[in-house]
Amino acid sequence: MKDRHITEILDNASMAALSESELNEVRAHALECGPCRSAYEAARMSAVVLKSRAQTAIEPSPFFQTRVMAAIREQREVESVPAIFRLWNSAKVLVSSMALATVALGALSFALPEATPDDQSLSAYSAESVIMGQSADDQMTYEQVLSTIYEDDDDAR
Amino acid sequence: MDLDLARQAQDGDESAFAEIVRRYSPRVFSVASRFFRQRSLVEEAAQEVFLKAYTQLGSFEGRGSLEGWLTRIATNTCLNMVRSSKRRPESTVSDLTDDEQSWLDQHSVGDGGRSSVESSLVATDLADRLLSVLSPEDQQALLMIDGEDASIKEVAEATGWSESKVKVRAFRARKKVREAMEKLLGRKSKQLNSAAD
Repeated sequence: MKDRHITEILDNASMAALSESELNEVRAHALECGPCRSAYEAARMSAVVLKSRAQTAIEPSPFFQTRVMAAIREQREVESVPAIFRLWNSAKVLVSSMALATVALGALSFALPEATPDDQSLSAYSAESVIMGQSADDQMTYEQVLSTIYEDDDDAR
Repeated sequence: MDLDLARQAQDGDESAFAEIVRRYSPRVFSVASRFFRQRSLVEEAAQEVFLKAYTQLGSFEGRGSLEGWLTRIATNTCLNMVRSSKRRPESTVSDLTDDEQSWLDQHSVGDGGRSSVESSLVATDLADRLLSVLSPEDQQALLMIDGEDASIKEVAEATGWSESKVKVRAFRARKKVREAMEKLLGRKSKQLNSAAD
């Protein structure tokens, strides 16, 4: 009996659950076997610290019940709102800002005049408009008229 | 009695559920304290347990006790919280603090040491060091059986595991913890020897 190592007995049940005969066997073997002596010592100490750890239970605070009931009410309120409204509540800021940005861009594109580069002012006149649509306010120089007419002829060829 | 309370709460009677919280919060806190030592975490876990219980009241059929049903929800909720958070670093093999060393000295001579608040805090720190080598499930099994003297059957009921699974977990956990403690004790003797030299 004494030759049997005792680690299996130690690992099989808690120290508190070992019977008197098992404890006697363990102690007797531990006296003669060095490795089993340290195993027994470690098992005994482990049992003590585990007991101590199990006794450190935290008590509920006096406000805990109130906190839980408040959380439940909040949860119930959230659940009572239909899913589409819940979705809207979470996305309304994003959707509103996107709509605002779209409106602002649209307004800007209508309000601002189209930019016309200066170097294209000459070619903006066609030959027809030069001949047919000249008015007294919109007079061109002689060179401008000639260059416009010949430029159109060159393009046509 | 429990079933009536659960039914009333399910029907929207707020005071019935408040009574459930008042009656069983010590039990839920006790379960959460096995997993966490910080009050804020224990309270967070306990609140989560009661919120789940509130939404699942319909599944309580009154076959077992309401306390048992809540214990199971608490155990699974805490296990999930521990799994989803970062695992603690394994600190078992690190050097012992002076307090821990003197605690081990006192208890290894077999006099049991002084049982003060400080002493139990050191013991609790040592236990956490040892438990950190285990999975949360194994910790749970070992703390219940070796720490709280729960039976295999009680652990099986609280966790939903089979009794054989509980036995295997407890055996494996006890062995690992014993080996970790042997390492600590070996380290302690080495430190004492080197101090003597």
